[in-house]
Amino acid sequence: MSQVKWQASGLQVHQASDVTSEHIALEADVVVVGSGAGGAVTAYELARMGKRVIVLEAGPYVPSQAFTEDFTESLHALYQDKGGQANSSGDLLVLQGACVGGSTVVNGCVCFRTPDFILQDWQRDFGLSELTEAELAPYFDEVEQNLSVHDNGEHEIARHGQVIRAGANKLGWSVKPLRRNIRQCGLTGHCLSGCKTERKQSMLVTYLPWAQAHGARIYSDTRVEKVVTEGGVASGVEAVVTRHDGTVAATMTVKAPRVVLAAGAVQTPVLLLKSGLANRSGLVGKNFACHPSLLVAGRYPEPIHPWRGAMLGVHVDEFMHPDKGGFILEDGGFGLVEMTMLAEPGTGKPFMEYMENARYLAGLVTLIHDHNVGAIEWDGERKAINYQLSDADFPSMKRAIKAAAKLHLASGATEVYVPASDKRVIRSEADIDLQVDSLENDPQHLRMVSYHPQGTCHMGADPDHSVVKANGETHDVPGLYVADASLLPTSIIVNPQITVYALATRIARHMS
Amino acid sequence: MNSQFQARQIKQIWQRGVARRQFLKWGLGGVAAATAIAAGGFALLRRSPHDELPTPDWVTGLSAAEYHLFDRARVVLLPVEGTPLVDSEAVPVVANVQTTLSYLDPATRKELGAGLSLFDNVVVFSHGCRFVDLEDAQARALFDRWGEGSVLQRTLTTVIKQLVYSAYWQEPATWPPTEFDGPVSEKWGLEYLGNAPMPQQPTIDVEQEQA
Ligand SMILES: Cc1cc2nc3c(=O)[nH]c(=O)nc-3n(C[C@H](O)[C@H](O)[C@H](O)COP(=O)(O)OP(=O)(O)OC[C@H]3O[C@@H](n4cnc5c(N)ncnc54)[C@H](O)[C@@H]3O)c2cc1C
Repeated sequence: MSQVKWQASGLQVHQASDVTSEHIALEADVVVVGSGAGGAVTAYELARMGKRVIVLEAGPYVPSQAFTEDFTESLHALYQDKGGQANSSGDLLVLQGACVGGSTVVNGCVCFRTPDFILQDWQRDFGLSELTEAELAPYFDEVEQNLSVHDNGEHEIARHGQVIRAGANKLGWSVKPLRRNIRQCGLTGHCLSGCKTERKQSMLVTYLPWAQAHGARIYSDTRVEKVVTEGGVASGVEAVVTRHDGTVAATMTVKAPRVVLAAGAVQTPVLLLKSGLANRSGLVGKNFACHPSLLVAGRYPEPIHPWRGAMLGVHVDEFMHPDKGGFILEDGGFGLVEMTMLAEPGTGKPFMEYMENARYLAGLVTLIHDHNVGAIEWDGERKAINYQLSDADFPSMKRAIKAAAKLHLASGATEVYVPASDKRVIRSEADIDLQVDSLENDPQHLRMVSYHPQGTCHMGADPDHSVVKANGETHDVPGLYVADASLLPTSIIVNPQITVYALATRIARHMS
Repeated sequence: MNSQFQARQIKQIWQRGVARRQFLKWGLGGVAAATAIAAGGFALLRRSPHDELPTPDWVTGLSAAEYHLFDRARVVLLPVEGTPLVDSEAVPVVANVQTTLSYLDPATRKELGAGLSLFDNVVVFSHGCRFVDLEDAQARALFDRWGEGSVLQRTLTTVIKQLVYSAYWQEPATWPPTEFDGPVSEKWGLEYLGNAPMPQQPTIDVEQEQA
């Protein structure tokens, strides 16, 4: 095995600005598409086995030092579609990172293992008998250790977390510190803009430098357009290197007998659809779930400064099991721009008054266990995310809003804002049903955000009813693997990064 | 198609509203389809004094009508009288909207343009003038009513509000009255930690797994 060359900071990335020829032809043992949670872990695991690994990333390489901690600028610099990726009806923002390190660079650091009741569903409904809690535990142990995952210490529970925890205790609801992948949290509250001082243990400062130390080569600005096969077996990819001004710098081909797709749950199916591969089941792009989230804000009598301190502190898991509601609540910090998207306090004066008093707000993020009713489509020119909150999931959403409102009130909030298109303010318990029951499951009524797209190339034992096997290989194309959030057969209620890391580790280890 | 006929068609679509399951065909795309039928007919429906006003030199990515619409929305949506908040006049709100719109892919940008034109013009049916000519109070009431209205109305008001709000609040000049701290790492002198140390994993693990 070649010598390990770890560098103390930054990454050596081949970027569009380095390109000198019109076409780049490369060869490797494995080509990994995407450098986020799934891609970085797979690249590291395979590189340390001595494989020649190439990672192709569509987004730019933005070193931590260049992060601005300005949310609007970060949306434009680090996110898919400059932060504007939405479902077809435009009422669900689907946030994904699009840079070296993928969504892990901009995520909130929350770490959960896949709940066992979800794994049991997968075993029962998708024939994934291997994916038991016992089988996955060592993988979870390992990634958690590698990423410094730990329970938030008391200093990592900001004012907004403290009030929420007090309210939950008052109601007798189970409330716990969140676990996060962070070293010496700087308590800046700017997680979603990337962690400037490299405390978040994202792929940018963990698995990618480690993969590179083992010889993996990383190409940014490089969008894979097609997976290529020979005789029905994966043989490489075709890609385009694009400069930051949008002009094409070069075309690229990578010949490799193993192709790992880790472009995320929106782009991986697009790539398969473009390539016309692995779709015997007709399920590529189908089965999309995304934990449609709301940020329910409450106004408190004393200043909270929701942008100060660690962004995410505690969670209420009282209602996590589907039999008890199928949702969780996490206290969530936010800045001014995010605040404008949360509530509809009325136009003009009431809105400006709400913003002027931003420091009195605390937020609760709701995550629901949604059904996999959405689909990613490709019409030859544009992708479409066709997802509408299903009528089956709407009651969970309402239960989550009601619980968030009750919790805010118990925590001392004087007003709770329902994140709807019309003005709905809850001031007492009596208002809760009044304001929430009359919500309708109509497009553009709730202000939803998804941070967790999943499920579009889901695993399963039956090739007619799933896209990939439990080991990540597509049923149809030997040598073609999926190792990202597309794998998950059902939504998992909890934040998914740790699930993706663990599955990607397992997939890489089982790759022959 | 003459403009009166086009206008009648739009009015019918508008009044019919949009059934829930039809909506996937709508969104901004649907708005665009509705406006495409009108294809300029609206502008003839009711002229506005704003049509004669010049636009600043920096306006390169907005049509004149879009510039006036956003500038009017800025005034209506961001009143600061009686508050310590910064006057929106002092902040490049419409320029920031222009920047955000420049990031849209051409097809979505076209759909949005059509939607904005619809928003500006369709109030002629209810108010007898274009949106840009409504008085402040009328315009605010319109936003509030449409927030409770049909899918199409909610889409348009939400898009315009979000664009204007984020264009204003993204500006550091607007932060001090709210006590928002903005970027802090450099201000606090936080040290860079660099890459995480390599995990202590014996490669033998791997060989065992492969076997
Ligand atoms: C704002 C935000 C907050 C979040 N917070 C949390 C949290 O607190 N906890 C948690 O568990 N999860 C969180 N998540 C989700 C978590 O980060 C994702 O579930 C996880 O990163 C998904 O991993 P992935 O490999 O599927 O995709 P990603 O990590 O998104 O990586 C996909 C990469 O592929 C690249 N790509 C796409 N198409 C191509 C192509 N054609 N060619 C080459 N490259 C391509 C993309 O640019 C991207 O970099 C959050 C996500 C976001 C966006």
